[in-house]
Amino acid sequence: MKYPMKFRGLFVAAATAATMVFAGAAKADFPEKPVEMTVLFGGTANTIAQLLSELMSEELGQPVVPVARKGGGGAVGYTHLQNAAADGYNIVWNSNSISTTYHTGRIPFDYTAFTPIARVSTEIPALAVNSSTGWTSLADLTAAAKAGGKLKIGISGKGSFTHLTSAALFDAMGISDKVVYISYTGGKAPIELLAGRIDAAIQWPGQFASYAQAGDLTVLAVTGAERASVLPDVATAQEQGVDVNITMWRGLAAPAGTPPEAILVLEAAAKRAVENDRFTEASKNIGFSKAYLGAEDFGKVIASDDIFYGNLLDDLGMAK
Amino acid sequence: MMEHFLDAFGLAFTPMSIAAIGLGSLVGLIFGSIPGLTFTVALALALPISFSLDAVPAIGLLLGTYIGGMTGGSVSAILLGIPGTPSAAATVLDGHPMTKNGDASLALGTAVIVSVFGGIFSLVVMIVSVDLVSKVAIGFGPAEIFALVLFGFSTICGLCGRSLTKGLISGVLGLMIMTIGLDLIEGVPRMTFGSVNLLQGVNLLVAMIGLFAIPFIIEAFSEDAHLPKTPKKMANVRPELPSFRLVFRNIWLMIRCSLIGTGIGAIPGTGGAIASFLAYDHAKRFSKKPETFGKGNIEGVIAPETANNAVTGGTLIPLLSLGIPGDPATAIVLAGLMIHGLVPGPALFMNHASEVYGIYIAVVLAYMWVLGLQLLGIRLFVHVLRVPREILAVVVLVLCVIGAYSIRNSAFDIYSMAAIGVAAYVLVAVRIPITPIILGMVLGPTLENEFRTAMMLSEGKVDIFYTSPTVVVFFILAALVIGLQGLSELRAKSKTKQKVEVSDA
Repeated sequence: MKYPMKFRGLFVAAATAATMVFAGAAKADFPEKPVEMTVLFGGTANTIAQLLSELMSEELGQPVVPVARKGGGGAVGYTHLQNAAADGYNIVWNSNSISTTYHTGRIPFDYTAFTPIARVSTEIPALAVNSSTGWTSLADLTAAAKAGGKLKIGISGKGSFTHLTSAALFDAMGISDKVVYISYTGGKAPIELLAGRIDAAIQWPGQFASYAQAGDLTVLAVTGAERASVLPDVATAQEQGVDVNITMWRGLAAPAGTPPEAILVLEAAAKRAVENDRFTEASKNIGFSKAYLGAEDFGKVIASDDIFYGNLLDDLGMAK
Repeated sequence: MMEHFLDAFGLAFTPMSIAAIGLGSLVGLIFGSIPGLTFTVALALALPISFSLDAVPAIGLLLGTYIGGMTGGSVSAILLGIPGTPSAAATVLDGHPMTKNGDASLALGTAVIVSVFGGIFSLVVMIVSVDLVSKVAIGFGPAEIFALVLFGFSTICGLCGRSLTKGLISGVLGLMIMTIGLDLIEGVPRMTFGSVNLLQGVNLLVAMIGLFAIPFIIEAFSEDAHLPKTPKKMANVRPELPSFRLVFRNIWLMIRCSLIGTGIGAIPGTGGAIASFLAYDHAKRFSKKPETFGKGNIEGVIAPETANNAVTGGTLIPLLSLGIPGDPATAIVLAGLMIHGLVPGPALFMNHASEVYGIYIAVVLAYMWVLGLQLLGIRLFVHVLRVPREILAVVVLVLCVIGAYSIRNSAFDIYSMAAIGVAAYVLVAVRIPITPIILGMVLGPTLENEFRTAMMLSEGKVDIFYTSPTVVVFFILAALVIGLQGLSELRAKSKTKQKVEVSDA
């Protein structure tokens, strides 16, 4: 089902109007019309969303239509969805950004405005340095930080996920007063590392993999509890004795009050989509991990993460 | 290398891949050439389709759309004075006056031929020097990019016509509009007044549609109905293609502008618009008759169109060797590469050499398609000029509303397009040029963000802006451009003064 995206919106609108006419009639099984999936970000988030929606469409027998509502660090899309009908036909491709946008005061509602459907994937931040530094572990970096001047750390903007991860990691390493953050826009941190303008950078494994293979950059650690699939030789921070466990998840959610029957159907479709071989192949190519989690467990992850990021933003003085 | 090339031929010359590239080129041309619709939207449509294709046809489809869009953007710029992409904004300056002079098809034909020249030229540069150029590109840190963009900004001088002050007002307006929204560096909202809609900022494409299309629509209806609608000359739709002599006479200009475009494209974070404005300024500055620019000088079409297509080859350098997309359009191409396991970076050239060469061949094929389709299309396009202006304006209005909405699926963008458009009409009425607004909007975020990142890197010391030779060179170039403009304005003023004195006597 490949409708041009521009016309998809119109199509959804037309379909909605058509079904509203028959709404009084007997309720058929969910879904009986296209489901609109709001996508909050471009890049990897968008690429996964496009594939996931295609696979879910095959499962549901109705198109799942990805509609990009980018901007404001997710605030625009979340606000749209919070105002949308809670009927199962409006879902959002969400992420930890629900916590960061709320705690930085960009949206007036928190994660409880949404019902979780399923977690789909995770991405584990990775810390890399230029190979010419000779550093091969977090201990080397700590030693260098304590010996010399402040280290310059590349991030993608204050309050971004890479910034929060950096702050938590360097705090756990005990060198948070030995680093300064340099904000880059447009994912340029790996180049800046290559050029030697910064000392270290936290980005996504997919951005470093090619350089690590070519021997230009050394990835010192990943910050999750498990290793990243594209960087199997890189030890986690915990393996290196630094107690930090940060992983970014992506999943699906619907406005609070969406009927449980609809959630069940969507949850099952998401599960089968994640199990599809094409999804596995894409996870290897793009550099994310498949991480299906059912609605209930997903809800627990969101709730505990929300407290964690709330506190972290508070420590950084960015909470509103 | 040879065997990789042979493999690549096998990958690129399948019926599937030739068809995919052709489809991409056609869709790109259509979206690029229709005012309101933008090829970034076309690329977003093509992306999911590319998932189910093999790697080379998939990337060919995306690159074809990109190249078709980049070339098609000149069509509405020339015919209606509404650029199809920000990169074609500089083409309006002389392309549209050429239409008014009855040379529409000549301008269109020249635009497509020089576009293909620029595109292929930059591809060749990219193939032979990707390692070298990517090393140079890595050398461009925040301070260097800031200086380059500042140099680009100095070209406002050449765009503002009679009054430098009015040009600056316009450029600064563009800079100011782009500060609305979430600031990416500090992560704080600016100028949003608590509105979530303003948090997403003003989209460049939405603003571009408003700036150029809305004044066109208003003017179409405010014209006196009893006057003849279109100048006789303009309705001349005789298809006339540029002669070889005309193209050959400008070959040096084309080569210089290709180099500008390739160079700009290779530096991450810049892109087609800055290249086309720099090329336009360059052509005007080194022309024997700079005073004919803005009145329909063909060099004013050749320069920006060569340069903005030369960007397509240049931009492949950071895209393939560094994984850095130059603009939203190439970001979508990047997604297509990733899903097929072609992860950009140094390892790409080691592990997937055949696919990389296949991509090169796909670019050449895309340009062949574009050349063929566009030369056929000119015969159709020029008939647009026969359509009465009021009817055309209604069609353009509908397309603009659809186009503005589709960029971000946001109804708010329709209102912002309308508001910006009405403001643009007022500016045109008081003779403030609107092209510098686009330049300000394109360059503003880069200018600001790179400056701030540079200051963070230097920990607040300004020496980062004079210790690098590259930075100093660009600063000097910018100062030269501004100085020369000031000088010529002074001269022009003293000339008119003398005239006044003479007439007084």
